[in-house]
Amino acid sequence: MQLEKFTYDNKIVRNFGIATLVWGIIGMTVGLLVAMQLFQPAMNMGSQYTTFGRIRPLHTNAVIFAFVGNAIFMGVYYSLQRLLKARMFSDVLSKIHFWGWQLIILSAVITLPLGFTTSHEYAELEWPIDIAITIIWVVFGINMFGTIFKRRERHLYVAIWFYIATFVTIAVLHIVNSFELPISFMKSYYVYAGVQDALVQWWYGHNAVAFFLTTPYLGMMYYFLPKMAGRPVYSYKLSILHFWSLIFIYIWAGPHHLLYTSLPGWAQSLGVAFSIMLIAPSWGGMINGLLTLRGAWDKVREDVTLKFMVVALTAYGMATFEGPLLSLKQINGVAHFTDWIVAHVHVGALGWNGFLTFGVLYWLIPRIYRTELYSKKLAGFHFWIGTLGILFYAVPMYWAGFTQGLMWKEFTPEGLLKYPNFLATTLQIIPMHVLRSIGGALYLIGVIAMTYNLAKTMLGAKLLANEPAEAMPLSKIITETSSADKAWHRVLERKPMKFMVLSLIIILIGGMVEMMPTFTIQSNIPTIASVKPYSALELQGRDLYIREGCVNCHSQTVRPFRSETERYGEYSKAGEFVYDHPFLWGSKRTGPDLHRIGGKYSDAWHYNHLVDPTSMSPGSIMPPYPWLMEQKLDITTTASKIRAMQTLGVPYPDGYDKRANDDLKVQAEKTAFDLKQNNIQVKSDREIVAIIAYLQRLGTDIKANKESIPSNQ
Amino acid sequence: MFNQIKDLAGGELYLITSLLIFMVFFVIVGVYLLKLDKKHIEVMSQLPIQDNQPNVHEED
Repeated sequence: MQLEKFTYDNKIVRNFGIATLVWGIIGMTVGLLVAMQLFQPAMNMGSQYTTFGRIRPLHTNAVIFAFVGNAIFMGVYYSLQRLLKARMFSDVLSKIHFWGWQLIILSAVITLPLGFTTSHEYAELEWPIDIAITIIWVVFGINMFGTIFKRRERHLYVAIWFYIATFVTIAVLHIVNSFELPISFMKSYYVYAGVQDALVQWWYGHNAVAFFLTTPYLGMMYYFLPKMAGRPVYSYKLSILHFWSLIFIYIWAGPHHLLYTSLPGWAQSLGVAFSIMLIAPSWGGMINGLLTLRGAWDKVREDVTLKFMVVALTAYGMATFEGPLLSLKQINGVAHFTDWIVAHVHVGALGWNGFLTFGVLYWLIPRIYRTELYSKKLAGFHFWIGTLGILFYAVPMYWAGFTQGLMWKEFTPEGLLKYPNFLATTLQIIPMHVLRSIGGALYLIGVIAMTYNLAKTMLGAKLLANEPAEAMPLSKIITETSSADKAWHRVLERKPMKFMVLSLIIILIGGMVEMMPTFTIQSNIPTIASVKPYSALELQGRDLYIREGCVNCHSQTVRPFRSETERYGEYSKAGEFVYDHPFLWGSKRTGPDLHRIGGKYSDAWHYNHLVDPTSMSPGSIMPPYPWLMEQKLDITTTASKIRAMQTLGVPYPDGYDKRANDDLKVQAEKTAFDLKQNNIQVKSDREIVAIIAYLQRLGTDIKANKESIPSNQ
Repeated sequence: MFNQIKDLAGGELYLITSLLIFMVFFVIVGVYLLKLDKKHIEVMSQLPIQDNQPNVHEED
């Protein structure tokens, strides 16, 4: 029989590798900047384009989709070709994928600081970019499946199953969480509102962690770890169990991000139950990885790539043990909205994603350049400074999380809040934030050292752009003879499309059970008669709140704890959010919750606080927003916004879009007059007037008929 | 501790149904794993190690 000769495309792997390094440094530098802003407000640099609210999403998007995203494609393009014994389906598609993805990231770098954001965490990019992401993702899918179809290896190794599940699920998540009604080129409203929007967002958010930060990395782990260790995976059976149970269970767990909110209780319980079950497959995978190194621990001592892999797997184990614990209501009640969650996420991001990426880069770059790593010593330095960086990052954040979470809940013997001023709890943990920045800086130094090391490696050798290989064509090696050969899974392993459809069905089950009832059963979201749509001015103010990224530091959901109702007021009800496109519940309280802020302070207080937060709250770490006072509110958008809201079912009267600006002006004049009474001269057409109007409206509707409001349960 | 998944205020049906789906799914995967052929497993787990060698027939 004749062996076919062909080549592997190493250039595309190298390109994704370089992009990983470049975006890694950029994303982590922005991360360090936002970390420093939290103890040194001057680091906001006095510009609206560099405030925490706008660039925190830039950090998360850059590290998730740029750093990790490019690393995924690097790992997939390298391993897929070799596991399938075929060059990538199309070099042109590979190039479109590469440059398309970089352009998407570039558009995020431009639009997020400009304030174009949907406000959904990790899905902040506006609708035109969402469409671009969809197109490029499909290009990736065609390229991947095209390669699978022209493969010369009969069976699909488990790593490829993880890649297929990643492709399918991310496609579903991205599409469902991007149902937006555009009102202009860079502005849209989510089709869902309030509780439903929250459920969709956290179904997406949680599974973005699962299927972007976890499954592709598990695929890479199952390929690269055996390669590095020179021995097969500990248990292939366990890897199969790991795969099916992980993709099945993960998809149900999203509601654990919404515990104690006004999400229906049964959905919360569902999220908790499945989150606890997640320990099993996650730890199965971690143990499988670590045991692959059985008998090879002597290699770990000498080989820096394996060191990175061991820490990555350990971090995966820690994060996936902690995740289910955090989803227990009792623990969540303390941890949620605090730095504990930030610590949890970064153990996964820095340890699991970061270290696995570094391990693969150190292993792969010298191989495709047919050379040795420039400096093993420098790689060793990277390993230790990176590990130290993770510790200096995580430990202070855990400390800060426990401290602040407990301070929020502490009462005096007389039954009063011990720390009624929220700011006191923020200031208490400032030293921890300083330490965290040091940890982040150490980690970044390691990445810079790695980049230098790999750049030297690449510059000192020549890329083997087209690596020769040979294999027999698939048609020659398939012999359907044995009965065992017809076993359904073995058939499935050879039928990638059927495999994809089965994966799709499995991930859809959880999502549907979770979401259908909340969308279809009226009683899950009891309506409240006194809750009315926002006025035109408030709606504009709300969009400014979204533009400035206030949601990154302020939640809008009061949980039913005495410590919260004492501090903020009545706990939040599902019916209060029915006109909120999108929901703005938030996930972190760097500042206090704002759901009951309406009417709590005067307009003048808000004005002074926005212009200079420290004038009203001495020591506040909130950046000043002087441009709100200077910039004119754009009211040309009012009519289209009202019409969009009407389309989405918000009951504004017919033809209101034409009258809305009249009402807007009347309300703005009223607010400006009120400010004037307090010796504040401001024109009524400034942005600050709209945002004050919105803040004063927040959470006030239910005060009209407090007694008749149905509870969340 | 388990009250949070016991007191469901009318949501039992969802939880029990989903647990059943989960159990059935797990049993199916379990049965399949038990029935897997050892030789096949061996071949599959060697795939990443031997990806620089020409492919061969799998002995069924």
